[in-house]
Amino acid sequence: MKHPVLSNKVRQIIWWLAWLFMALGQLLSYYLGFGKLTTVSISDIIISVAIYSVLALSLWYPFSFFNSATTRPGTIVTNIIAGGIISLTIWILLTRMIMLLLFPRGEEYKLYWEATFYFRIGSGVFIYCLVVLTYYLFISLTTLSEKKAKEARLESLVKETELRMLRSQINPHFLFNSLNSVSSLTLTDPEKARDMVVRLSEFMRYALSRKDEQPVTLRSELENLMLYLDIEKVRFGDRLSTEESIDPDCLEIKMPVLLLQPLYENAIKHGVYESTGGVKISTEAKIEEGHLKITISNNYDTAPSSRKGTGTGLQNVARRLELSYGNRASIRTSKEADLFTVTLYIPAEYL
Amino acid sequence: MDKIRTVIIDDEAPARDLIKHYLKEFDYIEVIAECSDGFSGLKSISFMKPDLVFLDIQMPRLTGIEMVEVLTEKPEIIFTTAYDQFAIRAFELNAVDYLLKPFPKRRFLDAVAKAVERIQSGESGRVPAGKLLEKRPESGPPVNRVVVRKGNAINVIPVGQIRYVEAQDDYVMIHHAGGKALKQQTMKYYEDNLPKADFVRIHRSYLVRVEDIKRIEPYGKETHVAILHSGDKLPVSRSGYKQLKEELNF
Repeated sequence: MKHPVLSNKVRQIIWWLAWLFMALGQLLSYYLGFGKLTTVSISDIIISVAIYSVLALSLWYPFSFFNSATTRPGTIVTNIIAGGIISLTIWILLTRMIMLLLFPRGEEYKLYWEATFYFRIGSGVFIYCLVVLTYYLFISLTTLSEKKAKEARLESLVKETELRMLRSQINPHFLFNSLNSVSSLTLTDPEKARDMVVRLSEFMRYALSRKDEQPVTLRSELENLMLYLDIEKVRFGDRLSTEESIDPDCLEIKMPVLLLQPLYENAIKHGVYESTGGVKISTEAKIEEGHLKITISNNYDTAPSSRKGTGTGLQNVARRLELSYGNRASIRTSKEADLFTVTLYIPAEYL
Repeated sequence: MDKIRTVIIDDEAPARDLIKHYLKEFDYIEVIAECSDGFSGLKSISFMKPDLVFLDIQMPRLTGIEMVEVLTEKPEIIFTTAYDQFAIRAFELNAVDYLLKPFPKRRFLDAVAKAVERIQSGESGRVPAGKLLEKRPESGPPVNRVVVRKGNAINVIPVGQIRYVEAQDDYVMIHHAGGKALKQQTMKYYEDNLPKADFVRIHRSYLVRVEDIKRIEPYGKETHVAILHSGDKLPVSRSGYKQLKEELNF
């Protein structure tokens, strides 16, 4: 820990002012008590306060040294008492030495010394207590704020890690099936194969290259997920169609990257995978009461599928919204006849 | 030599095209049908009786695995899929090969050669090491439907309609809302893959939907009997009783 006074200019000024007031206070009380000020008394007060002010500064070092989390309370108390005895002794001896040098064989000083001895010890102990109190107050306030800062750092780290984990992982089967289509297209339609490789690369670049949780605009999210849907269209042909109705005003709103990917993946998995007829995925985006409202819906075959979905995709999207926006964002799903709809509300914030 | 009659079943057109293209090399292989979903695939196999089938797994209506499970006369089957987790089940079903998409041409040709050898020798491969494999369950979320054959009809039973599953030698009898159906499958499979919260193994031979139990009565010294809402009475073993106790908290 840095020295609380020496490391800060403002505190240095306050420190020296406090001692100045202490000296003035002593002079005043002496004057009020004895009705006059003598050279001896003025010199003694100024010298003793000056010595004490420097001594008190150095007291910080033993205190901060013997005050780690593992220090036992007994050690701290012993440290304070020992520090007090040593510094008081040094203070009194040093003051006396200097005074004797200034006033050699002074009868007046001898009398003054004897008259003020007990008062000197009393005031020394009192000032010592004040200094100790100040230092310990400083130490506890600093550790408290440090602890708070550490907790806040830790919390944001945990949040960031969780967000990274929740970021949708591209389903490997999507990749393998797409590559299989490419493999086939190289024989039947090389032009289309090249086109698909380019789309696949562009989409993977978007999905893989973003290591951090930097938000993106709705424009770039939609552009890239349309690539994803285009690739799926090559695989499924007429069985998959899409329809978009996007209010241009929404396009620059920011949102978490790949937030919509699991929603489209679900639409493919529960819609196209399970249905022999055509499946249409509709996307709608508009601004409603200061929020970006995104609606993604698909029709699906109502017959039971081979295995139930686990709901992880939707849960992850909901958790990401919660971590990014608290309760300012929401997700809702609904099933009506053969239509499944997901609605997202995200605060309309711009990059 | 007779031509080898082949059906390609895959819901993705490019995937079918690739197989067709590779098969052009064999003048003794003839593609007689292409299907894009499980039901139409099943129909083609039943009516056309092909020698060889290329079969995807993840498809609408019926998965490739479900299809093979209900086939009475099985052609030689080569699975082609991007999913690796069904391989064990596929070999249990005596598949010739299991090709992971995208597959190299070499691998495809090897699989075809194996199939041709099997067809020409007239023996349908070796008996799979089923007993060894059955200890390794097909993993994933709980199943949502069971596909069975009844005479010439194929029934899709939603899991919600299954009352209990009864072991019968190498088969299981599935008792459901619409009757009962036999299927070649192990009890262990159903114990592992039906929703665990809904079904309890009350006996070595019985797996019961908890909701369908009306009451449990003592029967003999150590055992009990479960009476279902349908009136069926099923034996409950000692360990089954213990499991029921845990499940129902009594």
